[in-house]
Amino acid sequence: MHGHGLFESRTKAAAIRLVLIPAVLVSLLAGVAGGLVRAGVTLPAVSAEWFDHAVLGHAFLMICTFMGTVIGIERAVAVKEPLAFAAPLASGLAGLLYLAGALHAAAWLALAAAAAFVAVNVLVVARQRAAHTALLLMGALAWLAGNGLFVADTASSAVIPWWFSFLVLTIAAERLEMTRLMRRRQGASQALYGVLAMHLLACAVSSVSPRWGGLLYGASLVGLAVWLLRFDIARRTVSAHGLSRYMAVCLLLGYFWLAISGVAWCLTSQGAAAARDTALHALSLGFVFSMVLGHAPVILPAIARVKLLFGWAFYIPLAMLHGSLAVRLVSHWLNLDWLATGAAGNALAIALFAATVAASALAWRARYFTSARSHDDAATAP
Amino acid sequence: MTAAKTTPSYPYEGPQAMRRPVEEALQRVVDPEVAMTIVDVGLVYGVSVTDERLHVLLTMTSAACPVTDLIVEEVETELERIAPPAMRVDVELVWEPAWSSDRMSPRAKAFMGW
Repeated sequence: MHGHGLFESRTKAAAIRLVLIPAVLVSLLAGVAGGLVRAGVTLPAVSAEWFDHAVLGHAFLMICTFMGTVIGIERAVAVKEPLAFAAPLASGLAGLLYLAGALHAAAWLALAAAAAFVAVNVLVVARQRAAHTALLLMGALAWLAGNGLFVADTASSAVIPWWFSFLVLTIAAERLEMTRLMRRRQGASQALYGVLAMHLLACAVSSVSPRWGGLLYGASLVGLAVWLLRFDIARRTVSAHGLSRYMAVCLLLGYFWLAISGVAWCLTSQGAAAARDTALHALSLGFVFSMVLGHAPVILPAIARVKLLFGWAFYIPLAMLHGSLAVRLVSHWLNLDWLATGAAGNALAIALFAATVAASALAWRARYFTSARSHDDAATAP
Repeated sequence: MTAAKTTPSYPYEGPQAMRRPVEEALQRVVDPEVAMTIVDVGLVYGVSVTDERLHVLLTMTSAACPVTDLIVEEVETELERIAPPAMRVDVELVWEPAWSSDRMSPRAKAFMGW
């Protein structure tokens, strides 16, 4: 039974590695390149048409076809239903279509991906009726709403809140699950539900009034950050060692940027254009990418069957990410020339992280094979 | 009170000689997200050992956890190290009864600030 299960999971991992991960990487690379150009970084002259689409579709590529595909794979691996892979397959393909210039087809395919992802989450809720699974489903529905508005070619001020909400609710759900290990104070759950209800209301209001919607949205992000800083297990696990502490550091830094983003979202909604980059990128890079950096060392082995040897080197890209983000965001108030430098640092942090993951995979192999060989030597020794 | 720390928090059936090695093997499986062993979190629901089979009932805190397979595999690997060659290791994932914080060990609760 187990041999069979293992074989199935290895075949699945091979399929993920060969088909889905290349699509994820294309979206990530194109999305990052598009982001760099937007921030004013001069890239080696690329005149290809796909590059224009990468600049235009930066948010779509980063949120829907990169993060959406990664989260879709993660959930499909968890539910163990082959059909659940339809969601990340569709969103991964949507990224390629978008870059190829089939913008409308890509938007429709992303909508289909979100619909499939909603179905997967309905299954998760059916298997485990709990607050955190309901929240995962709400995240999926937010993605569906955002993609629906994107298909209808609605203004980005209406689409972006829903897209971010997909990521924010998904992360909140996963953290809520972990807080079950802490003794919950009276009213803590109610406080969270209140904040999240405000968040969803803010998404809806943003479509009709960016001014009020943005204010509510920002307030809900600040509320969530305060809740997470107060109740998340990261406050406890940061006193552990190794990988556990690293993950907690990633989380706590993420909560700090979540609060900053919330404040910036409020300011932007009231007309402070200089705060817009902070609203978007303290959230996407400071909060979401910090979560990605923190969780990749445990998620990658689960979805791609690549074992990693954790080491202090993981702190280098983390420091680079948060340091360059600070440079990028203060540039709007101090010196706009720093914007491109900060953005280049953000991209470098992601590249450094990829290099660290690759090196730690090699380190694991080296250690594993060395110990296996010395074990064999010991076994054959006279 | 010290007994609470050394006595496993799950029902055990089988030879006493195997009890300690099994407990130690399970204690080696750590969930990095929570920085605690699966025994301390209370994910082990029961162990039964016969001459030919080492059967473990295991749960997870969430049905949406992508790391489930990895933890199950790690439990199998650790148990295969201590099981005699003729003994088959069988880790079974169960969802009933659902995990709750009541299952956490005193050490785990202290770590999480209960």
